[in-house]
Amino acid sequence: MNAWLLAWRNVLRNRRRSLVTILIATVGCAAVLIASGFALYTYAALRDGAAKEFGNVTVGAPGYFDRDEETPMQFGMADYRALTARLMRDKRVRRVLPRVALSGLISNGDKSVIFMGLGADVAAEAEVRGPFLEIKEGSTRPIAGHEDLPRVLLGTDLAKSLDAHSGTGLTLLGTTTSGGINAIDVMVVGIVSTGWRDIDKRLVYTDVPTAQRLLMSDRISTLSIYLGSVDATPAAFAQLSAADPAHSYKPWWEQSFYYHSVRAIYNRIFGLLGLIIATLVFFSVANTLSMAVVERTREIGTLRALGALPQEIVAQFVREGALIGVVGAAAGTLLALFVVLALPHAGFEMPPPPGRSVGYPLLVNFSLPLYLAVDAGIVALCAVAAWFASRKASRRSIVEALAHV
Amino acid sequence: MTAAIALRGIVKHYRMGDEDVPALKGIDLDVPAGAFVAVRGPSGSGKSTLLNVCGLIDSFDAGSYLLAGEDVGGLDETARTLIRRQKIGFVFQSYNLVPVMSVRDNVEYPLLLGQMAPAERRARVDEILGQVGLAGLAGRRPDQLSGGQRQRVAIARALVKSPTLVIADEPTANLDTATAQQVVDLMKALGARHGATFLIATHDERMTEHCDEVRALTDGVLA
Repeated sequence: MNAWLLAWRNVLRNRRRSLVTILIATVGCAAVLIASGFALYTYAALRDGAAKEFGNVTVGAPGYFDRDEETPMQFGMADYRALTARLMRDKRVRRVLPRVALSGLISNGDKSVIFMGLGADVAAEAEVRGPFLEIKEGSTRPIAGHEDLPRVLLGTDLAKSLDAHSGTGLTLLGTTTSGGINAIDVMVVGIVSTGWRDIDKRLVYTDVPTAQRLLMSDRISTLSIYLGSVDATPAAFAQLSAADPAHSYKPWWEQSFYYHSVRAIYNRIFGLLGLIIATLVFFSVANTLSMAVVERTREIGTLRALGALPQEIVAQFVREGALIGVVGAAAGTLLALFVVLALPHAGFEMPPPPGRSVGYPLLVNFSLPLYLAVDAGIVALCAVAAWFASRKASRRSIVEALAHV
Repeated sequence: MTAAIALRGIVKHYRMGDEDVPALKGIDLDVPAGAFVAVRGPSGSGKSTLLNVCGLIDSFDAGSYLLAGEDVGGLDETARTLIRRQKIGFVFQSYNLVPVMSVRDNVEYPLLLGQMAPAERRARVDEILGQVGLAGLAGRRPDQLSGGQRQRVAIARALVKSPTLVIADEPTANLDTATAQQVVDLMKALGARHGATFLIATHDERMTEHCDEVRALTDGVLA
């Protein structure tokens, strides 16, 4: 006689009740897997976005990341070309992009607004950032007949504010490294969106020479290092920073506060959700097996009289609970996998998160460690619920149990 | 020869609310090994309580109990369980078979608890099922059997581990005359073959006339 076969027969004693319990375990398991998979997808998307926005690793001059600049480019890097060439020799490095951070006023003659600018290789930025920098209008190329004018790309909301389009001439005003005011005329060649409304209200993209001209400096703010994959960041960061003590290196996760905030919130939300689901599954299984225990009181008394120890009685119920968990977890896993595979074809879209102007696709990631952990958790939960339901009955007086009607 | 059961001055009280109700009032009983002994008495006389004490499924408040020469009076529940597992078989009035187990599984269960090797278990079960005439019904579930067949399964389950003592509480109460007769004959024959001592609670004359000794119990006192 196989103890597990006996447990399965006991599970099937009251098929409808067991089926309902298994369904609850199934739905609970699937809900946890889908919610966790969605969180994993969100984390991965945020991680990719952050790595594309900042670069896998950012390099600055000493003090750049720790102190506030009193004048523009106080902690700028002058030796960036040599450093770029050196970094590019590393096989893991795909691109090294210079960036110049600048701010000031942008004016169309009638209206002036504050801008936050970035001097960069705009075409390369658009390429590495992919969907995280969408060109809504125009392009990064100069407009025919105006090749001599410095080019800028504006954030969508800034363009709207200034009533600017491709071909519109604007003036940038900024503080130079020596504290003076400088102004240059520029031409809008494109409108871009980062998906962040607050950034798109202030964003000006221009090339590095134009930014340096405005600041009257030959320095840049940072170099953004792009690697082949986000996963390569920790090792590359450790090695690159160790090999170059003359500069400061920052990985993407030390710069993306949004990633950490969202992750912290999602961990709490989905953690709470998981706890609620676990509680429901626990009490459902405990309830089912409590009823089974009551119905089988006399049988428990008989088995105890025949020489079964209380822990052997409990073990039998724990096996039954575990079987309910195994079937529920297996069915829940299949349901979750179906959702994982079906969602990309369904085309569901999440609404824009707070502060963002664009939504994102509703997708759920698959993770083998997650699935194994959740499935094991469901089985363990059901087993513990069975232990909880049967532990008292197993120690009940045998005489009373045998007299139970 | 060591007595299978030797009770001296066994006292047992039940608590009913605030009241102590005496169930056994100083029972002295010696049952020789291999004997077939019945305890007879009206309902409420204490028959079941006496059997429960002898079967180590209930404790007693005073007195001493030697089971095959071993003092089992002061044992804790785990020790009592392990003795039941090895030395005591039970036959209940309502058979008390496990409905999800086959006939074979029900009979095999005590051997499984004793952690006997599978091959030996199988041989023992086949042998005892043959002895009770149920060899062809080993795969059936209890609900596919008649009352007499069920009680034979229960007898096989009680005897399969070759116990010192078999406790049988009204084993023929739910059976018709012919079947009861067969069950009594079977118990007696198998008891003799396995060297088991039977202590039977009954008020069935068909049963008592086959017993080596019949003791009357009235109001917790053994005559």
